[in-house]
Amino acid sequence: MKQLLNAITIGEPKRLVKPVVWNALANLSHLLPFICLVAIVDEIYAYYLTGSLDIHGLWIRWGVMLACFGLSWLLENIACKLTYRDGFMASADGRIKLAEHIRKLPLGVLMGKQSGEIGNTMMNDFSRTESAMTHVLPQIISGALVAVLASVALIAADWRMGLAMFAGFPLALGIMLGMRGLERRLDRGLAAARVQQTAKLEEYLGGMRVIKAYHMQGDHFAKLQEACTVYRDACIRVERGVGPLNLLAAALLRSGLALMTLVGVFLVSGGSLAVPEFALFLLVGTRVFDPLAVAIMNYSELVMSGMAGERIEALMHTPEMDGSGEAPEDQEITFEHVRFGYGDKESVLWDVNARLAPGTMTALVGPSGSGKSTMLKLMARFYDPTAGRVCFGDVDARTIAPEKLMAQISVVFQDVYLFQDSVANNIRYGKADATQAEIENAARLANCYDFIMQLSDGFETMIGEGGSTLSGGEKQRIAIARAILKNAPVVLLDEATSSLDPENEAAIQEAIGRLVQGRTVVVIAHRLKTVRSADQILVLDQGQIVERGSHQSLLAQNGLYARLWHLQTESEGWRIQ
Amino acid sequence: MKQTTKTKQGIPRLLEISGEKPSPFVASILLSTLGTLCQLVPFLAVYQVMAALLAHAATGAAIDTAAMLRWALVGLAGMASGYVLAYLSGMLAHTFAYRVICGVRLKVAAHIGRLPLGYVTNNAIGKIKQVLEADVEQIEAFLAHQLPDFVSTVVMLEGLFVIMFSQNVWLALACLLPIVVGFGCQLVVMLKILKSGGLKENFDALEKINASSIQYVQGMPSIKIFGQTVKSFRKFYDDIVSYRDFTTRMTEMIRPGYVCFRVFVLSVATFIVPVGLLLFLRQPADVAFVTTFLFFLILGPAAATPTLKLRSFSESMNVIGEGVRRVDAVLAEKPLPEPRAEGAHPQMQGRDIAFHNVSFAYEAEGRPVLDDVSFVAKQGEITALVGPSGAGKSTIAALISRFWDVTGGSIEIGGVDIRALPMEALMAEMSFVFQESVLFSDTIFNNIALGAPGASQAQVEAAAKAAQCHDFIRALPDGYQTRIGDGGVYLSGGEQQRLAIARAILKNAPILVLDEATAFADAENEHAMQQALAALIKDKTVIMIAHRLKTIAGAAQILVVNEGRICERGTHDALLKQQGLYASLWAASSDAASWTIGNAKEEEAQ
Repeated sequence: MKQLLNAITIGEPKRLVKPVVWNALANLSHLLPFICLVAIVDEIYAYYLTGSLDIHGLWIRWGVMLACFGLSWLLENIACKLTYRDGFMASADGRIKLAEHIRKLPLGVLMGKQSGEIGNTMMNDFSRTESAMTHVLPQIISGALVAVLASVALIAADWRMGLAMFAGFPLALGIMLGMRGLERRLDRGLAAARVQQTAKLEEYLGGMRVIKAYHMQGDHFAKLQEACTVYRDACIRVERGVGPLNLLAAALLRSGLALMTLVGVFLVSGGSLAVPEFALFLLVGTRVFDPLAVAIMNYSELVMSGMAGERIEALMHTPEMDGSGEAPEDQEITFEHVRFGYGDKESVLWDVNARLAPGTMTALVGPSGSGKSTMLKLMARFYDPTAGRVCFGDVDARTIAPEKLMAQISVVFQDVYLFQDSVANNIRYGKADATQAEIENAARLANCYDFIMQLSDGFETMIGEGGSTLSGGEKQRIAIARAILKNAPVVLLDEATSSLDPENEAAIQEAIGRLVQGRTVVVIAHRLKTVRSADQILVLDQGQIVERGSHQSLLAQNGLYARLWHLQTESEGWRIQ
Repeated sequence: MKQTTKTKQGIPRLLEISGEKPSPFVASILLSTLGTLCQLVPFLAVYQVMAALLAHAATGAAIDTAAMLRWALVGLAGMASGYVLAYLSGMLAHTFAYRVICGVRLKVAAHIGRLPLGYVTNNAIGKIKQVLEADVEQIEAFLAHQLPDFVSTVVMLEGLFVIMFSQNVWLALACLLPIVVGFGCQLVVMLKILKSGGLKENFDALEKINASSIQYVQGMPSIKIFGQTVKSFRKFYDDIVSYRDFTTRMTEMIRPGYVCFRVFVLSVATFIVPVGLLLFLRQPADVAFVTTFLFFLILGPAAATPTLKLRSFSESMNVIGEGVRRVDAVLAEKPLPEPRAEGAHPQMQGRDIAFHNVSFAYEAEGRPVLDDVSFVAKQGEITALVGPSGAGKSTIAALISRFWDVTGGSIEIGGVDIRALPMEALMAEMSFVFQESVLFSDTIFNNIALGAPGASQAQVEAAAKAAQCHDFIRALPDGYQTRIGDGGVYLSGGEQQRLAIARAILKNAPILVLDEATAFADAENEHAMQQALAALIKDKTVIMIAHRLKTIAGAAQILVVNEGRICERGTHDALLKQQGLYASLWAASSDAASWTIGNAKEEEAQ
């Protein structure tokens, strides 16, 4: 239970105190009029027994009921205001905290998960815990609190009747707690079925072209159908498993009234219970569990929120990147016995040693999967090595504050991500306080000024959904403009593999030429021709540097580089027929 | 018939789409209503016991213990059967709801399979997924919980008030008043929110914050590289804060109505008491009236509590209406018209592809993407499409395979308009290799065998060998039986493309459409892919899009596409002589090919 509380409140159960207290007070205020009601019924009953009637007293009792009505109004108002507002505040704070935390995680952690998964946690999981925190949980807790308080009072009035009323409560509680385990187990199966359904749906939609081209509609539809049916049956199974227990808990909770009536009849006819006390139990006792019984119907929602909260917690507890030192002036990059593997998988780099002198250009070449991109990512500290170290100057990159390190590096990767923002602001990412003139200048150097000016609103054109869509080549040039504006001493480049139309390609090449001037450059080249003038070429194969040197010396070695070079020269000249 | 399908909305339309019969649902609602009535029995029992006790006090008659006991047991039994009925009803409703949403999902998926392929673009996939997953899911809760709850509560309330009014009109009115006032408050607030456009604003705010959160996560590499903190990543921060402020503001608007509703409904007894007291004081000796009074005091509050559940009903109703509308929007997309009769379609003479004055726009009124395009691609020859990106090359390729239908002009294959061919017959004529290859999470063997269902191991291997992928497949842990995708191996872009080529080789269709088929090649496998392609294109009608002009320089016909029109055409040599767009592209690409990074210094020196 504590775990659940912690999960839902994302580690801050204290947040619940206020909502619970005010909800409990509001619930009690709904109970008070029934005490007056009992007093009224008692008075009328007494009239039939004794013949005297306190008319004044009857109206006073109603007056108290009326006062309770006003009190309820006040308390409900406060409870509503507090719980909702606090819930929204809490989830907004939580989202901001999580967003800030995510920024400090190694990028590798983020890339290991699907971006949808994290987005889902950020939005839906917070919404879920928000609703659990604002109404479900406070209502359940305050409902239980009121039930216990009232039961104590009623047991004091007559313990036999009190027990009869209260008997179902611990049982119901036990079932609810037991249900948590069951529900979690069932939910796991359900989640697997849901993932399958999503996967098949994606495949069906994304692969429609091929499916149609090869007449596989029937086949793939059958697979989708199966996944949907399996998911449907899993849902029904969960409902079948949890439903009866849910209702049993509610029934036990409500069994108080019927049991009480039964016990009461025995006691009254046996003469050991006075009729007014019996009336008290019947009138108040029926209402005691109302708030709880209503709230308990949302119990499964609560369990789901608990799981959402756990996902948030898990993400929050993923360790941030460490390091707080200054970045050194010296821009030499060295790899010392670096070894690295993604997650638990096999190592991608094995004992890599390299020295990248300041102001020089180093090219990484090799077959796909040889570890070129991984080396680049280690330099940008998207990941930290599993063994060995990557140094800037003489300093281990892990001891440098990530922000300070990033300030030294510009990265132009092949998959350019532009934000849904204006062109100018997208370039401004390179330097937050850049003037319009600086932005335009960077755009000119990156060969994108002309096409930007042709857009509907020039530099103020919105990019992305609902805005202007740019071609791959244009996006790349904007990314280069960003990097030029950033003016960092180290430039990491990943040459695009997918080919662009010749005009775009020429423009990009020119822009890159301007970007790399006078900097320490590391480039992944897919076309060996582009890097033949590099100061140093590192040839990677299966996670190791197998050859190194200049273009000429590598050709002379007649090894892997020479083989790749010849293959490529051959395919360069290829033409159909 | 068509008329009625158009007019149905909401739940009836939902049932119609899913094809589920409503009878289990009706049964569920009946059971749920019965169950709710049973829940009242314990209260009736309490009333009977109290009445017996009152009668005993007033008349001095002996307490009828047996009758009281009987009532107590009846109460217990009523409660128990109420829950059993609720369970049965719940199971029926849930099963039904899951069946309905599964039915709707499959219906929409099947419909999408019949739509023009162009409809299933990347952008549309996101929306369709939203409809098929989230929107459809909401329907479940509504069908399984809210609707049965609503109906049974309303039925119970009606029944109860009929009884109440038959007992005592004044007391019944006193009981009804707070419930009506409560709902009234709620209604006033709802109207106010509707008028202020709050609901739409709510959806918009949610959409905005969703979009910016996804953007934030996807753009994380850039955010990190450029050292943006969450606050300087203004948009996301602002969206979170403005969503918070918006929800808080909404709550403030909803609060008076919500509180008023709760307080009135929970205070029914407070309204019954003064009316009851006044009537009682007029004739204190009337025990029968006091019993009725008691009846109201017990049943009134008991009846009020379930009405709390009705509050959110209209809200859900809107949400469901919206969900059904979105599903309908997908279903309303028109499938490509296809000739019915099988085998009766006109026979193609040869496999020449001819475009006659073809124009095309994605939207009816939209900007034309292709404008008056005419050409003939001869059988056994290669026709290459070149031009700047966005010129319309890929659209031409897509129209041949009827991803969309032309908006003007016609496309013929072997002299037959492709619209006169059943989709199946058209597809049998062609193979594609696209820039991005689509592989399914299945074995490698099955992925290649897609090209010719029922192909033997030897046939698949032969195709793989021709596509230069036999070697890398053999190196995989389970060879041809290795699974790709989810939980299987990951293939590089070049490897995926070669598998797609193997598939096309196996299919061996007479028409071949290649759209940037070697785009993801790297140094090592580009050569292998080129050989694979050379094997594939023999004797076919080939339409080829390539950015690297050298590749297509040997084509029989080169069409230079610019801004939706063919501006130049001819062989490589003829086009170079024209000194037009092609010649300038060629010059640019020759420069690009000889470029080296960082040689600026050398250039300046020269």
